[in-house]
Amino acid sequence: MVDVSMPDDRSRGEREARLLAEAFGKPEESTSGISRRRFLVASGFTFMGALLFGCSRAPEETAFGYVEQPEGTVAGRTENYATTCAGCPAGCGILARSRDGRPIKLEGNPEHPLSRGGLCAIGQASLLGLYDSHRLDGPRIGGEAADWKEVDALLIGQFETARRGRGRVRYLSGPITSPTKQALIDEFLGGFADGRHVIYDPTHTASVLDAHERTHGRRVAPRVHLDRARDIVAVDADFLGTWGSPVESTASYASRRRADDPESFSRHVHFESRLSVTGSKADRRFVISPTERALVLQHLLVEIERLAGRSLSFRSLPASSVDGGEFQALARELWSHRGEVLVLCGADDLQAQIAANLLNVLLDSYGRTLDLQRPSYQLQGDESRLAETLEEIRRGTVDVVFVDGVNPVFDLPGGEDLRKSFASLGLLVSFAQRMDETASLADVICPDAHFLEAWSDARPVHGLIGFSQPLVRPLGHTRPVIESLDRWLGRGRDSRALLQARWGEGPQWEGWIEAGFAQIDEVAEPAASPRPLRPQPATGAPKDTLALVLYSKVGVPHGGHAYNPWLQELPDPITKAVWGNYACLAPSTAARLGVSNGDVVRVGVESGASIELPVLVQPGQHEMTVAVALGYGSELSRRFAGVGPEWIERRPTVGEDGRVGVNAAGLLGVSAPRRFSGAAVTVHPTGAREELARTQEYSYIDVPARLAPPSGARRPNIREVALGSLVADGEHTEHSGGEHAHASLWPEDHPHDGHHWAMAIDLTICTGCSACVIACQVENNVPVVGKDEIRRNREMHWLRIDRYYAETGTNEVDVAYQPMLCQHCDNAPCETVCPVLATVHSEEGLNQQVYNRCVGTRYCMNNCPYKVRRFNWFEYAHENELENLTLNPDVTVRSRGVMEKCSFCVQRIQEQKYEAKRRGHPLRDGAIRTACEQSCPAQAIVFGDRNDPDSRVAKLLADERHYRVLDELGVKPSVGYLTLVRNRTEKQEAPHHG
Amino acid sequence: MNRYVLTIVLGVALAFEVAILVADGPRAAILWNRQGYAPEQPIAFSHRLHAGELQIDCIYCHYGARKSRHAGIPAASVCMNCHRFVTATLGAVRAEDEAAQAAGRSPEPVVSDEIAKIYGSLGLDRRRQPIPGSTARPIPWVKVHRVPDYVSFDHRPHVTAGVACQRCHGAVESMERIRQVAPLNMGWCVNCHRQVNETGVGGRAVNASIDCGVCHY
Repeated sequence: MVDVSMPDDRSRGEREARLLAEAFGKPEESTSGISRRRFLVASGFTFMGALLFGCSRAPEETAFGYVEQPEGTVAGRTENYATTCAGCPAGCGILARSRDGRPIKLEGNPEHPLSRGGLCAIGQASLLGLYDSHRLDGPRIGGEAADWKEVDALLIGQFETARRGRGRVRYLSGPITSPTKQALIDEFLGGFADGRHVIYDPTHTASVLDAHERTHGRRVAPRVHLDRARDIVAVDADFLGTWGSPVESTASYASRRRADDPESFSRHVHFESRLSVTGSKADRRFVISPTERALVLQHLLVEIERLAGRSLSFRSLPASSVDGGEFQALARELWSHRGEVLVLCGADDLQAQIAANLLNVLLDSYGRTLDLQRPSYQLQGDESRLAETLEEIRRGTVDVVFVDGVNPVFDLPGGEDLRKSFASLGLLVSFAQRMDETASLADVICPDAHFLEAWSDARPVHGLIGFSQPLVRPLGHTRPVIESLDRWLGRGRDSRALLQARWGEGPQWEGWIEAGFAQIDEVAEPAASPRPLRPQPATGAPKDTLALVLYSKVGVPHGGHAYNPWLQELPDPITKAVWGNYACLAPSTAARLGVSNGDVVRVGVESGASIELPVLVQPGQHEMTVAVALGYGSELSRRFAGVGPEWIERRPTVGEDGRVGVNAAGLLGVSAPRRFSGAAVTVHPTGAREELARTQEYSYIDVPARLAPPSGARRPNIREVALGSLVADGEHTEHSGGEHAHASLWPEDHPHDGHHWAMAIDLTICTGCSACVIACQVENNVPVVGKDEIRRNREMHWLRIDRYYAETGTNEVDVAYQPMLCQHCDNAPCETVCPVLATVHSEEGLNQQVYNRCVGTRYCMNNCPYKVRRFNWFEYAHENELENLTLNPDVTVRSRGVMEKCSFCVQRIQEQKYEAKRRGHPLRDGAIRTACEQSCPAQAIVFGDRNDPDSRVAKLLADERHYRVLDELGVKPSVGYLTLVRNRTEKQEAPHHG
Repeated sequence: MNRYVLTIVLGVALAFEVAILVADGPRAAILWNRQGYAPEQPIAFSHRLHAGELQIDCIYCHYGARKSRHAGIPAASVCMNCHRFVTATLGAVRAEDEAAQAAGRSPEPVVSDEIAKIYGSLGLDRRRQPIPGSTARPIPWVKVHRVPDYVSFDHRPHVTAGVACQRCHGAVESMERIRQVAPLNMGWCVNCHRQVNETGVGGRAVNASIDCGVCHY
C-alpha cells in the first residue's frame, strides 16, 4: 500500500470530517495523514497497476518428454507394481501405484494370501519415508559425509583387524524375515571367531517363542488361523492393532464376523488391563490387572483340565478379579467347541504364555487353529541374548557392533549409561535411514535403502515368499544392507543379483515378481509334541499398587516411525489423541489422585526412572493400571518444531526439548527380560498442565434433546444388536431398516437415474484400525496441521473414525467405531446455504465441492449435521519439493480460504468411467474402489452404484441391518451403516452409545 | 503540491506497466485467456509439415491421447523413428548430391540444424555417433495448451467420443508454430459440453456431463 502523508490536505480533510460528522451525527475526530478520498485514489491506481502487471505475463511452462521412450509407459497413466511392505515384519503384499516414474500410493495387494487387499496405516504412510527430506542421503564416517568406496575400505580394514583379534562382533537387529538377508548376516558373522546375531522387537518380548520352547521343545511361533476359530480367547494380545500380523489377523477375524452368516460368527472373549483396539471389538471383555494375566489363564486351565478329566495342574489358586463362575462357563464353551478354538496370549509373562499353550494343547488347537509345522516368523527376538549382549557392550568387551533397523539407545532402558556404553564402542556401524539416537553415536553410518528403492524378499510365514522390487532409483546414495554385507564379504553383487542367486532367474522369477509373492512347497517343520510341564502357579494381584503397562500405539508403534507426520497426526483409535503420549488412568483412579485430562503427572518406577506426562482419563481400563505408549520422544521427532501454519497466535507444537512426547523406554526395567507390563509404579501430580490434542470430544453430532422430533424418538448414531436376538426373531427389524417417513424441506426434483454412488460401512467388522484415515490422507493430499491446530479443532482429515463408549459397568465400556465421512446427502444442507454455489449436487448423487468457486464463508460447515467439512484456515506447507512428490497429481492441492471434504474419491470414479468408456464395456461393480474401501483390512467399507440392483452396495443398503445416521433430519445421506452385531446371547437392550 | 506528485508518480507507474504489457506482445494475456499464445519453441518443429503435408496421424506422436489424461510429448526416440533416415530437406540433400557429383566425390551426409538438435538431445553428434561425455537431455518444449491446476482435463473420453483434435487445438495441420486457438476457459468448455448433448459428436449421441465434479476435484 502507498504510504504518503499530506500535511497540506489536513485542513481539507478536517473539513470533510466535520461535514460528515454534521451529516451523520458522528463525533468529530481529527484525521491525520491521508484523507479517505486520497486513499481511495491511491489504492485504485495501485490495484489497477497490480492487475495489469499480474496479467501481463503468461507464466511460461516447460514440458519435457522422455529422451528414450520406455516400453509400455504412457505419461499420466498410473501403473501398479506388486511388492512387499517393510513397515513391520508382517510382510503384507502391496501394490505400489506409480505415476510417471514415481510411487504415489501404496495399496494392499488383493491377491496376497496374508493381507488380502488391506494395508494398515503404517504401511500406507511408509510412502512418505521414501520422500522424507531428512533421510540420510549417503554414508557417513564420524558424522562427516563420505562415499561408499571410503566406507568400504575403512570397514574392510577394521573387520580384518577384528578378525585377527577376538573377533567379537554383534549384529543387533529387529525381526528379520528376509531369507536372503538372514543368510548374508549369518555368512558375514560366520567369518568372525565370535559373531552373533541378536534380535529384539522394540515393542514386544518374544515370550511366545520362549513358551513354545518350554512346552513343545522348539523356539517357534505358531501361525494363527483366526478364520478357523469359532471361539477366540485372548489375553493381552492386541492382534487387530499392534501385535503379530494385524492386517492378516483383521482379514481373517473379519471373515468370521459376518452377520449374514450367524452360524460361523465367532465369539471373542478378551482379558486385558488397558483398552486396546482388539479388546474393544470383543464380545465379552474382562478388565484385569496386568499382574494377574497368568493367574486368569491358569484358572481357565484348571477348569478345562477338570472337563477333560485330567489331573489338575494346580490344587489351589489365589482368586482373580474375574468371578470363578465366568471361568466355568467359558471353559464349558471352549471344551464343547474344542478343535475350533484359539487361546492367544500377547503378554510378556512367560507363565501366562505357558498356560495359554497348555490350554491350546488340551483344546486341540495345534494343527487346527494354530500351526507349528508351518509357523510364522513375524515374531522374533531373544531376551536373554539381548541382555548378554547389552552386558558385553556395557563392559566394552565387543569389537564391532552393527545396528540394523532398531535404535537401542532409544528403545531400550538404560538411559545415559547405555548411551555412554554405545558411544565408547570400538566400532559401531549403523544401517539407520535417519539420524536416530544410535546412529548419531555410530562411527560409520551405511544408510539402508527404502524398500521402494531396492530388491528384497521376505518370508513372513512358512511357505510364502514375498518379493520387493524397486520402483525408483535410490533418491540419495543409500545402499541396501544386503549389498553392503555382500561387498564386505568380498563380492559386491547388487540386490537383484543377490535375490536371483537364491531364487533363480527365468519365467518363474518373472512371474513371482509380477505377483509380488510366491507360494512355495517348503518341507514342513517337524511336528512338535507337547512335553509334560508343570507350570508355576501365579500369585494374586497386589491390591494397592499401581501397575504399569507400556504399550504401542497403532500409529507410532515404536520410535522408528516417529519421523512420519501422517502417523503422528493419526488419531489413536481409542483415545483420539495425536502428537504425543500420555499416562492413561481409569476414571476412578484419576478421581482418587485428583487429576483430570491434561494434568501433568510424574510416573516413576522402583529403579528410580521417571517421566512426566499429561493424564488422559481412559474408561475401560483397570483401576490399578497406568498405561503409557512407547515410541515417543524420539530424536526422529525433533523435526516437527515448524509443522503447522506460521501465524501470530501460534503455540509450540513440540515439547521443550523439541520432540514429540516423552520416551517411556526408561520405565521398562533394567533387568532382563524387558518387562512391558506389571511393574509397580507411582504416580504423583506435578501441578503443571499440558493440553492434550484430541480429535474427538468436540463437534458432537448427536441431536440435542431440545431439537429432537416431537415424538421424542431420537435414535442413537450407533445401533447395536446381540447376535442372539438377530437370529432369534424379528425384534431387530422393529427398530431399524426401512425408511422413516419424515417431513422433508426439499422437493423430490433430483431423480439420479444414471449412476447413484453410495457407500455402506459394516460397523460389526470395522475395528477402528484407522488404515482408511491414512489412505484418504495420501490419496486426497490432505495436509498435516500440527498439534496446535488440532487443539484448536482444526484437523483436516476428510475421514474420521468416531469412537463411542457405552458404559456397561464400573470401568467397563462397550466401544463402537463409526467411520464418518461426507455423507453425500441427496438433500444436502450444505448446498442450500452456499451463497456462491461452490458446493452443488452432481447428477450421480455426489456432493461436489468446487474449490475455485469457494470464497470461504464456512456456512456449509456450520450447516453440516455430520461435521465432516474442513476449512483451510491457512496455506499449509508445500515448500518441500521432495516431500511434495507424495502428492496425488489427480487431486487439487487446496489453498487457503477454501472448504474441502470427502469427494467419494471422485478422481477414481472418473478414472474408471473413462477406462470403461475407452474399452467399450460397462462399468463393472467393484471397479471403482475409494481409497478407504481399498485399504480396509476387514473390507468393512463397500462403495458402488445403488441404482445397479446387482451391486454389492445395493444389496447392503437393502439389508435389514442397514441404517442411516441422523436419518430423522431427512437429508437422505448416501452413506449407510450396518448395525453393530456382537456375539451375545442375552436379549438385553443394546446399550446407548454416547 | 504533494497531491500532484502522487498523481504523477502513480501515472508514471501505470504507464510503465502498460508499456511492459505492450512490449510483451504475443506473450501478453488477460488473466487465463492465452488465446493466440504461440511461444517460440526450442526446435522449429512444423506441425504444418508433419500433420498437414505428410499427414502423420496425431496419435502417432501423441499416443497418450487415447489411453491417458495427457496426450504426451513424444520422446526424442520417437522422432528418431523417421529422423534416423530423414536428416534434412530433400532440396538440401539433392543439392549436396549434385555438388558431390560435380566435384567427383561421394556425397557428405546433410543434417539440418533443427534435426541436429534432436540428435543433441540424445547425446549424439551430426553423424549420430555418441558424443563422449555428453548425456541425453530432454528437449525443453514450451507448453502452449494448459488449464489451471484446479481443472482436471482428461484426453481419453474426448478421443473415445470421437471429438476431433482440431476442435480444441485448432487447425494444427496448418500451423508452422503451434498456437493456442481456443480460449480454453470454462465457458468455452461448458458450451461445447451442452452443445454436443444436443447435436452429438460425429452423428453419435454422447453424454457430456456438465457437473462441476467432472473437471473440478
